[in-house]
Amino acid sequence: MTALLWLLVALPLGAGAVLAAAGRRADRVAPAFAVAVSVLSLAAAGAVAAGRPRVEAPFLAGIPAGLAVDGLSAVMVLTVTAVTLAVLLSSAGEVGPGEARGRFFGLMLLFAGAMLVTVTATNLVALLIGWEVMGATSWALIGFWWRDPRRVRAATIAFLTTRAADLGLYLAAGAAVAGGVHALELRRLPGAAGPWLALATAGIVLAALGKSAQLPFSFWLSHAMQGPSPVSALLHSAAMVAAGAYLLLRVEPLLAASGWGAPLVAWVGAATALLLGAVAVAQTDLKQLLAASTSSQIGFMVLAAGVGAAGVTGGTMQLVAHAATKSLLFLAAGAWLGALGTQRLDALGGAARRVPAVGLTFAAGALTLAGLPPLSIWAAKDQLLAAALSRSPGLYAAGLAAAAVSGLYAGKALAAVTGQADGVPAGAGGGGGWPGTRRVGAAMTAPLVALAAAAVALGAFALPPVAAGFARLLGAPAAAPAWWERLASAALATAGLLLGIALGAGRLGAAGPAPAPVPAPVPAPVPAVLRGWLAGWLGVEGAVRRLLVRPTLALARGLARFDDRVVDGAVRGAAALALAAARLSATRLEPALDGAVRAVAGGARRLGALARRPQTGRLHQYYAQAAVALAALIIVFVLAR
Amino acid sequence: MLATVVSWVLGAAAVAAGAGVFRVDSMARATFLLLGSFLAVGGELLVLGLDYLGVLVVLMMTMEMVIMAVFMIMYMMNPAGLTPMSMVHNRRGSLVIAVGTFAALAAGILVAPWPPAAGRPPPDPTVALGEALMGSKMLVMIVLGVALFATMVATVVLATHRGRYDRYGDRLDRPRPDDPVPGGVWR
Amino acid sequence: MTLKLFLLLAAALFSVGLYGALSQQSIVMVMMGIELMVNGVIVGAAAFWRHASPAHPDGQVLVTVAVTAMAIEMAMGFAVVTAIFRARDVDMTDMATDLKG
Repeated sequence: MTALLWLLVALPLGAGAVLAAAGRRADRVAPAFAVAVSVLSLAAAGAVAAGRPRVEAPFLAGIPAGLAVDGLSAVMVLTVTAVTLAVLLSSAGEVGPGEARGRFFGLMLLFAGAMLVTVTATNLVALLIGWEVMGATSWALIGFWWRDPRRVRAATIAFLTTRAADLGLYLAAGAAVAGGVHALELRRLPGAAGPWLALATAGIVLAALGKSAQLPFSFWLSHAMQGPSPVSALLHSAAMVAAGAYLLLRVEPLLAASGWGAPLVAWVGAATALLLGAVAVAQTDLKQLLAASTSSQIGFMVLAAGVGAAGVTGGTMQLVAHAATKSLLFLAAGAWLGALGTQRLDALGGAARRVPAVGLTFAAGALTLAGLPPLSIWAAKDQLLAAALSRSPGLYAAGLAAAAVSGLYAGKALAAVTGQADGVPAGAGGGGGWPGTRRVGAAMTAPLVALAAAAVALGAFALPPVAAGFARLLGAPAAAPAWWERLASAALATAGLLLGIALGAGRLGAAGPAPAPVPAPVPAPVPAVLRGWLAGWLGVEGAVRRLLVRPTLALARGLARFDDRVVDGAVRGAAALALAAARLSATRLEPALDGAVRAVAGGARRLGALARRPQTGRLHQYYAQAAVALAALIIVFVLAR
Repeated sequence: MLATVVSWVLGAAAVAAGAGVFRVDSMARATFLLLGSFLAVGGELLVLGLDYLGVLVVLMMTMEMVIMAVFMIMYMMNPAGLTPMSMVHNRRGSLVIAVGTFAALAAGILVAPWPPAAGRPPPDPTVALGEALMGSKMLVMIVLGVALFATMVATVVLATHRGRYDRYGDRLDRPRPDDPVPGGVWR
Repeated sequence: MTLKLFLLLAAALFSVGLYGALSQQSIVMVMMGIELMVNGVIVGAAAFWRHASPAHPDGQVLVTVAVTAMAIEMAMGFAVVTAIFRARDVDMTDMATDLKG
């Protein structure tokens, strides 16, 4: 059983590494190989979900890396492997035969393996390993088409934002070490000493909010839509953004123990759910709408993590339901992008009718997303809103409002794709993309059907026996929503859906047969200024750029200038000084010295010539010199004696 | 008294003759004026009581001057003094040096504290000289003899017109001597 | 005459001879000057013998040496003059500047 757990994580990781390293050589076998690996992973996930093993491997001194499968991890493992299988099956369409399939499937498998490590990790060390590998592979996947610098820039923004938030996990690990948490185990975190508890809580909350694209980190999800649709289907619906919510659900006891963690998390989740729902309503691009709705739905999960142990059940239900629904919706969007060459809402009119399979499944997914009874998301939301009500009525009210808004955008999307075909030729319209292939392969529709079936079938969560069983599985209490709560959420969701459909259809009707060359935003019951703010994802990114990015870059530039001018300048100055000294000595000192030496030599030569002058060869002059010299000598001798 | 007068006269004569040597134009006269100076010096020696040495000087100088006259006439262009000529160089410098030397010497002579005579002259200075030269001053004798001999050999060698190396080659191996006039001593 | 006067005589003879040796161009005239100088030395030596130490024959020996030196000098001088005249037809000191330099 422990071997199965190792196999569960090692199989996707190893296979992914092999595929990614093999590169273009593995392009032909990559899809089949990846699908086979994911099937095996699903089987292994089922086995460990039944067997609940625990393993440990030595990693650091006194801190091993441990994996374990308990109730929550079992649910997550099954969810991740199932969605991975579905996404890999249907990604052969968008990542066609000519693309780098080896790299793509390898990275997807690596991501899946890292996510499995994350959801089975027992301590912060293993969690960090999986967390970071997830971040790295997500950057590589978002920037898959790296020849386009726009996509690479988007990937970099996404990666940097989540990585900056990940620093919180390192902070929490350090606080756990300082606070004396044995082996950094997640379930022992509430036992950390004094201020370290608060630090650990803050760190984990920060990292989770960043990864899950909650406020104020939501803007990276908008950029992440530049990646291929299968990437969005896996990462940004079921896996990566869910990892943050999973972490918060896992450490719910820690949030409760810190005292301020749970309310903070709950209100951040509620605010995100509401505001990002409004942002989704204001979007004009299908994938951007789905991205904003992802952030909003995960807000519900985060809200659930902050309302106590009863919320864990609801949050997990929401996680599973949302995974199935959102991955289905993203895959359908990708199918339409490949077939029609556009993902703009106003250009997708009638797309649902063109390929009925995709259209039907998309409709099912949109209805589920709206929170219509008796579908899965309605059931899950009821669970967690019931837990919220028991904690705080204000949270319950915010949750209800967010549920209504989710109906709005789901209706809008549904109306856009099922509305009249407005004659806009495929590939036309700003931001459309490339001319589509006009067809959707069979391999793509089967997973869509399976996911739609799961999204609908998981509505069984509403049944009390199923909910109780699920709660027992998770080891958490189940909140029982009252009949009026169910009614209220159902009514709000339905109302929101109808209103959204009406708004979306109204726009299409008003435009008429002639296509509008300038894309007009879909009218929403909000003033124009607010619409602009919402359409721009609340302007958080701009604030971050102004407050963080620009000062950092300016500091970097300043330091670079310092290095160039001062440090390099000192070195260059030393070299120039040496050269100048050399030049000085060559032009001034050397000639002076040479001149001095030559002067001495000249003087000696002149003295020598002078010494030759008395030797004239003339006898009388020799006599005269001798006489004078002798006389001088004698006088000196006589006088000195 | 007589000795004093004679010595004064002889002294003046010696200096005058010596000065005259360089003033006359004729070579012969110059030579004989020099002889005159020597004779005056010999007389001075006689006055001083050195009989042998005085006579020696007279005799020797006479012979020398006569031989010198021969060489003078041989090598000077104006033997008879028929044309007035003055072959001097550096006349002023020489005068200055000569006068300066005399002045220095005279100053030294007049100023130096000469010691008084130590002893009396022997009754026969010649015997004393002979005994000294043959006795305590034998080295001087020997050196003088050797020097004279060396001089004789050297002068002959220097002055020979043609030596045996000229006549018989560098290795003295010529069968017949190379003479302009055949004949000769021995070989 | 006293010692000083004799010595003055000797100095005078010496100076005259020096003038001649320094100023004459002809080789034999230079030799005549040198002879006069030796002449002065003879007078001086004799005066010293007579007035400074007559008991010792050292002064006489000195006179003897001077006379011999005079003879030697004359002989060698003429031999050299003959040799140089034969070799290079030189009879003036100014033409025999082989030691120049």
